[in-house]
Amino acid sequence: MKEEFLLGNGAMALGLLEAGCQIMTSYPGTPSSEILPEVTRFAKAENLNTSIEWSVNEKVAFDNAFAAAVAGKRAACCMKMVGLNVAADSFMSAAYIGNIGGLVIISCDDPGPHSSQTEQDSRMMARFGKVPVLDPGNPEEAREMIKTAFDISEEFQVPVMVRPAIRVCHARQNIKYGSLKSNLTEADFKKEPTRWASTPKFRFLQHKALNEKHVKISEKFNLLTPYNTHNLGNEKTYDLGVVAGGVPAFVIKDLFEEYARNDIPILKLSAPYPFPEKLANEFMNRCKKVIVIEETDTVIEYMLRDKHKTLGRLTGHVPMEGELVPEKIEAVLNKAMKDCNMEPLSADTIVQEAFELVQTLELPIRKPTLCPGCPHRASFYSIRKAMPKAIYTSDIGCYTLGINLGAVDTVLDMGAGITMASGFWNAYIQDDVKKPIVATMGDSTFFHSGTTGLMNAVYNDSRFVLVILDNYITAMTGMQPAITQDRRVDGRKGNLIELETIVKGCGVKYLKVVDPFDTKTMIKTVKDAAEYAYSDDGSIAVIIARHACVIGFKDQAIPESIPVKVTDDCNECGYCHTRFECPGLYQDKENEKTEINQTLCAQCGVCLDICPQGAIVRVQGEKI
Amino acid sequence: MKTVNYVLGGLGGQGILFMTKIFATTALNKGYNILGAETHGMAQRGGSVVSHLRIGDTKSSLIRAGSADFLISMDESEAYRYLPYLKKGGKLFANALVDAFPDKRVAAFLEKMQIESRAMEASKTAMELGSPKSTNLAMIAFYSAFGQGPLSADDLRATVDTISPGSFKEKNLKIFDTCYGVGKKMI
Repeated sequence: MKEEFLLGNGAMALGLLEAGCQIMTSYPGTPSSEILPEVTRFAKAENLNTSIEWSVNEKVAFDNAFAAAVAGKRAACCMKMVGLNVAADSFMSAAYIGNIGGLVIISCDDPGPHSSQTEQDSRMMARFGKVPVLDPGNPEEAREMIKTAFDISEEFQVPVMVRPAIRVCHARQNIKYGSLKSNLTEADFKKEPTRWASTPKFRFLQHKALNEKHVKISEKFNLLTPYNTHNLGNEKTYDLGVVAGGVPAFVIKDLFEEYARNDIPILKLSAPYPFPEKLANEFMNRCKKVIVIEETDTVIEYMLRDKHKTLGRLTGHVPMEGELVPEKIEAVLNKAMKDCNMEPLSADTIVQEAFELVQTLELPIRKPTLCPGCPHRASFYSIRKAMPKAIYTSDIGCYTLGINLGAVDTVLDMGAGITMASGFWNAYIQDDVKKPIVATMGDSTFFHSGTTGLMNAVYNDSRFVLVILDNYITAMTGMQPAITQDRRVDGRKGNLIELETIVKGCGVKYLKVVDPFDTKTMIKTVKDAAEYAYSDDGSIAVIIARHACVIGFKDQAIPESIPVKVTDDCNECGYCHTRFECPGLYQDKENEKTEINQTLCAQCGVCLDICPQGAIVRVQGEKI
Repeated sequence: MKTVNYVLGGLGGQGILFMTKIFATTALNKGYNILGAETHGMAQRGGSVVSHLRIGDTKSSLIRAGSADFLISMDESEAYRYLPYLKKGGKLFANALVDAFPDKRVAAFLEKMQIESRAMEASKTAMELGSPKSTNLAMIAFYSAFGQGPLSADDLRATVDTISPGSFKEKNLKIFDTCYGVGKKMI
């Protein structure tokens, strides 16, 4: 057995390769992003011929994996939970149609949320799509579960979802693992149109067959230890029992161990759907009340169906939003225990006192910001200068942080930078108002979900300026390659696609490319674009603001280091560190002077042009 | 062994993941199991980063507020931010001015909780030794001087020795030894 200290995402990569997964697809999104790179790393180290791809979006990833499984291979696709929304169209049909080789979908949830738009619970999607789901509680359990997921998927010919929450993905644990492989199953698609291309009549039959499978899987889940299990003793009844799955199940186990409490039984339901009815009933019959603690929604709580016995979110015992961190779970248990006239785990309020004390200290608010030297900062600065009264629709990625520069007004989902821009145009033009609108979107997001909205806007003659922020990379999620790069994730050559070709292919007539570090030119380019877009015979104007990501491609992004200093002309207006919001500049607390933070400054030199007083100057030849 | 909980706090760019790696590698070499939780993604762009590290046979990765044995922070404000994680009798180590730490407003709380706090100017020392980005190493060494917890100064130093790439080895060990010395003098 080998051993490594790995992220949960690394542990899941091991699980995939221990199971012999042959095809792996994904689109990056926190907290799922490291799974595919870890599969790549292990496959390379063991010289496996696993086929691995960053797909253009999650639906594409899903369909590619699905087809491979239909052809008999073991396949997996992984994504963050909102990514599953993008793949939902295929996902909803997949269980009806089923698969031959095992198909595992890893949908990573983000209770909190820490890096997401919603706190949605992928187990709900699993139920919606009638896909069996497993809910691991830590990296080691996730690694093991993936192997179980493949087996179930092949046994019942249905896709199986594994739903790790962020505390699985970004937990780190020492992991022992066995031999890694890519199965040798050859692709063998057996034609059967009534199954693979089924019409509604056959869909009804498939639905019926799926429901029958669910009965069998539920029976299997009744006995699926250690994922589904309880620790009822010989006593007849308990005043209170706990029902939990995933991450909270282990938090509760640790809590009871720490407080040496063995008077409260736990029903662990880490394979909650199809619901293991028999196991749950066994537990319910022995408890006067149960408290359900699950992240993030009410999946188990609804399926228990006994509202007289069940405490949880619906009775106000468990918070409806936010991550169930251990201290919150402790508080939930304490309340439930008190309500059942039991001794709580703890009575002291010192932790609450400590959090209140910290509140009074007014610690610096450290909101997310664009990196020093980030080309997006320069783009947003120029956009605001050129069109200060516009509505700024934006999108999902690092550039969401353009909100700090006052250049992002809306963020809905992947692609909505463009579709909300056309929507606003339509809403205003109905009232004869030519509303200035600037849409921003990153290169990877444009390929993911931008083109359909752009084609729609061109065809329907919506008018706005679209700035595509092209930094050659999917940066926020950890520097995954965009399809404008000629190297794929596993090192093989990719047939790169130029952004310009796609934009023109969408019917766009006006396209300019600009380097955002040259703010003077970019301001003029945006103004010219707006003039064209809002002229009578104009149309949508697209600008590609192209400059490499300062983290992903440091040398390319900063070809020449430009050290700067602040001169005595500075009148402490604060524009550079508040409005321009560069972390490389700050006002010293003691002498109240604006200074350069030499550790953070990327020496990009963009600030030379933005100071209203011209007080930021280049340092020539002197030591700083 | 009873689980030992470390909360490591700091700012983005200070190398908190490397700090975690030094502790974890040392613990693994001693045959302990480890489970921890890290900050990634949008949350990481924020500046405030925290890493939870649990040494022992625990099943869950997050440390419950009020149960950390050690809080080691590479920034003074972040030390206060994560203060609620410390248990009664826990130990606090911070990169801060020795004379001005801890802030008067938290002193009563620390006393009530019997929390012992220690500060050193780790960033300044690292800078003086020519490695402005080694606040993390400085704090590990400073912590190790007090001989608390399951990982000894020798164990931690050996990990730094093994993990540091050739060109950094000498510099890193120098920082380690210097900051270990700073801590030793306080005992």
